[in-house]
Formats: sequence, structure tokens, C-alpha cells
Amino acid sequence: MRLEKCWFCSSTVYPGHGIQFVRNDAKIFRFCRSKCHKNFKMKRNPRKVKWTKAYRRLHAKDMTQDSTFEFERKRNRPERYDRNLTENTLKAIKKIDKVRVDREARHHAMRMKGKKAKVQREAAKELEQSIHMVKAPAVLREDSSFTLPKIKVKASHQQAEENHPMEE
Amino acid sequence: MIRRTSRLFTVGQSLLGNFGINSSNFLGASHEMATTMTCNNFLSLQQRTFIQMRTNLKVVDNSGAKRVMCIQALKGKKGARLGDTIIASVKEAQPRGKVKKGDVVYGVVVRAAMQRGRCDGSEIKFDDNAVVLVNKQGEPIGTRVFGPVPHELRKKKHVKILTLAEHIA
Repeated sequence: MRLEKCWFCSSTVYPGHGIQFVRNDAKIFRFCRSKCHKNFKMKRNPRKVKWTKAYRRLHAKDMTQDSTFEFERKRNRPERYDRNLTENTLKAIKKIDKVRVDREARHHAMRMKGKKAKVQREAAKELEQSIHMVKAPAVLREDSSFTLPKIKVKASHQQAEENHPMEE
Repeated sequence: MIRRTSRLFTVGQSLLGNFGINSSNFLGASHEMATTMTCNNFLSLQQRTFIQMRTNLKVVDNSGAKRVMCIQALKGKKGARLGDTIIASVKEAQPRGKVKKGDVVYGVVVRAAMQRGRCDGSEIKFDDNAVVLVNKQGEPIGTRVFGPVPHELRKKKHVKILTLAEHIA
């Protein structure tokens, strides 16, 4: 029994699933489900189809190089059965998976790092600039509670000066 | 009253006339759309079936034949599949070969465009329909086999073909 990778989306194909297509030049394409198979028949390039792993790796959305990937290389020599070896391998698989998932989460966090601050800045700017779409300028001038206070001031005597233009 | 109704009637008729012309245009356009859409769908959802009488197959050994037409699938009511034997008539042959045009030969299907289920639950399919000519005992007439072959042949006891093959899928 061997767990293969889908040619199109790079997910694992478990036994009993999927279709294998053998081309006349003896290249074997394995697909995990008919979605990938139909996309292949449409001659779509997986590197351009957004939901595939090939696209994500190419556009640096997912981790590309990591030492945890070295453990998953394809091995063609069968190992003689050894109970200790099997036990240790199973434990190692669990640990490696945890490490890989943690690293992927960290990669994702790094990718999304400046986003929250950026979103807040854009929202504040939009409020400042396009508040006229929500409330008429005449109403805003009358009642200054509808607008955001422009600058956060530190010294108190400066605050009195700032309030003057707003009230007018 | 009568004059008004007659005017309305004529106006209505002219409107309906225009509508008729428009509707025929729409129908024409939608019909084209429908045919192009069905053409696209047809190409991508091609349903591959069995190898039956009048199926043309490619010959992938060096027995001399090039194209062969199936005249009987030996096992199976609906037709032959991957790994089955067929009786075929040679339609196209190379000038100096072991078989001539018009010969009736036996063949083993080594590649079929229809998917065949494997015992582990997956399915395998090839790009074209191909056959290797054999004699009545099941031994191949040619001495070389081109292209990939499936290992369903092992179960069907066509071991000779497997040994000659260059790639086992």
C-alpha cells in the first residue's frame, strides 16, 4: 500500500480513491478526485489554478523549503519489518507533523503580519474622507460629535488651541 | 368603438409581427449557444466504453499489422475490456510482415481508453485502444511490444507479453 500524491492538487490519494491515467509515453498521472481529473482534461496548468498546492508554493503562499519535507521523500526499497523501527517511526511521524503544522502557522502569521494595522489605517482614512456619503456636511459642521477627533494631543494647553478650529 | 378596436387590432398585429421576428432571432442565437455548449460538454465528458465489433485498434507489436478491426470480443456480453482477448481482422499492414491485410487474428487488449477497476479500488485508464496479436495458444506473434502495458495481464496469464513490454503500468 502506498499513499500517492495527486498530480493536480498535490493532496494525498488514499487506496481505493482516484483514477490513474497512463499516457502513451508511460507517464502516469494520478488524480485524487474527478475535479482534478476534469481540470487535467481541460488542459489547465496547475501552477495557474489558485486552489492547488503548486500555485500556492509558486506564489509563496505556503512554505516551500523546510527540513520537515525531507522526511517525506519517496523510498523504493522495502524495509524489513522491525517492530521497534515501526513504533519509532509512528511516534516520529506524529512529532514531525506537529512541527510542520506549527511552522506553517508561523509562515502564515508572518505573511499576514502588517494586515491588521493596515486595515485600521484604511478604515480611519475612509471615515475621514468619505463621511460625507453617510452624513451631510452641514450636519457635521453643526454637531462635531459625528467626526473623529483629528489628532491625539499630549499637552493640555495645546488641546485648547486645537479645539478652536473644530468648533468654528 | 368599432374603429378604435380595429386600430388597436392593426397596431397589435404589427407589434406581434415585430415580436415574431425578434423571437426568431433570439431562438437562433440561443440554439447556437446551446450547440456550442453541448459540443464543449461533449468533448470534456466523453464516455469511454467497451471494445466491440467494428472497433479499430492500434497494433503495438512488430508482427506487421498496423490497424486491426475487432470482429468478436471473446468474453463479455457488452464487449472486451483491458486484458481481454478479441478476434480481429487486419485492416492495415506493413508490406513485409508476419500477417497480411485481411487476416483473421486473435489479439490481447493491452491499452483501453475505458477505465478498469483494480483490486485495491483505484481505476486505471490509458490514452488509446491498443492490441497485441497472439496465436490461438496465447503466445504473441511479434517479438517486441511498444508502449506501457498494465499488470492485469499477469492475472490473465499473458506473461510473455509482460516480459516483452518496455514499461508496466
